[in-house]
Amino acid sequence: MSDYSCLVVEDSPMMRQLIVFALARVKRIQITEAEDGVDALRKLASTKYDLILTDINMPVMDGLKLVKRIRADANHAQTPIIVITTEGSTEDRQRAMALGANAYITKPIQAPQVIQKVKELLKLP
Amino acid sequence: MTDDRDDRQSDAPADLSRERETFVRQFLRRGFEITETVISENQELRDTLERFREENGRLRAQLASNDAIRDLIRKIEELEVERRALSIRSEELAESSRESEQRSMAVEAELHDLANLYIAATHLHSTLSLKGVVKHLAELLQQLVGAERFAIYVSDPDGKMARSIYAEGMDAPDVIVGEAPTGLVMAMRVPKIEDTPHPAGSLDAPVATVPMLVRDVCVGAITILSVFAQKERWAGVDREFLALLGSHGGTALMAASLQADRSAELHGPGKSNTYDPLDALRNIHEHLARFRDAG
Repeated sequence: MSDYSCLVVEDSPMMRQLIVFALARVKRIQITEAEDGVDALRKLASTKYDLILTDINMPVMDGLKLVKRIRADANHAQTPIIVITTEGSTEDRQRAMALGANAYITKPIQAPQVIQKVKELLKLP
Repeated sequence: MTDDRDDRQSDAPADLSRERETFVRQFLRRGFEITETVISENQELRDTLERFREENGRLRAQLASNDAIRDLIRKIEELEVERRALSIRSEELAESSRESEQRSMAVEAELHDLANLYIAATHLHSTLSLKGVVKHLAELLQQLVGAERFAIYVSDPDGKMARSIYAEGMDAPDVIVGEAPTGLVMAMRVPKIEDTPHPAGSLDAPVATVPMLVRDVCVGAITILSVFAQKERWAGVDREFLALLGSHGGTALMAASLQADRSAELHGPGKSNTYDPLDALRNIHEHLARFRDAG
């Protein structure tokens, strides 16, 4: 029985698979995948998630727009959000955090780094 | 005054009685005194004896107490030795626990690296679409290696020149095989990777160049001019990644290219990106039979 549900939003199937594999090492967490921002919003409309990981550069709806929409949703206004992106500039980081993201990880991602951030935000040991 | 003795001779019986009485009285008194002395001395002796007994008792008690103290001290020393031994053992266990944790973390990290390699290889060979293979190669370079500016080259059939099939963030002029840097790597068939990646590489000095080999034949190369600024050093698995791309990239491209030829042959040049897996395996039995016959 999982205690926490996590939504992974990433348009690349390969990257999704990598992130899901990394997160599978965190006990008590159930993972749902979304292909882009629109797919993510569809899933968020029907399910309350404990954590959201999202890429920034995605077709249809990019990650920053998604973060903004999530924060406008009363159900997920406080849900922790981790943004994953190749962009390393301070400006992008600040934009993501200003829109309401809780953490920022740059690619190439290191699985231990993702796990650490997830555990921090879910307050897991 | 006259001497009573003179009087005594004439009063002998009365004097004698008096003397006797006096003697007895004196004797009794003396006896009484001696008795009192004896009694007194006896009492003193008793008192002294009592004191000695008390002192003896105290000394015995003290002796016993000293023995108890000695025993306690000995016990304390034994416990102290035991405590030191336990403390050492505890430190050893803590150190062992730390080593186990570090080993566990190292194993986890290696597991993640292996998973990344597996996923990369799986995706590389998951499609026979040429567009798909090139897209996967580019994605792997960007997302897993952190390459910012890079190009993928494929050799001409005569093996003398190589042309870019994909370039990200850079111009990718044709390469003469044998000419440094990319052409030399293709000719030598040995990767060249700088010790430290950096964002300031150039066509003349890329941070990494990897030949793509199919059965020792160099069919192309991957050249990385620079990596993303946040990548300050190569990850432990990066060289394995690049080696995988070098060995599997060429094979994947070759397979996709053959499939594109087949599709174009079957469906026309405009449909070279379509393929039917069952159609591709159509003649497999004949091919295998031919190989068997050829021994």
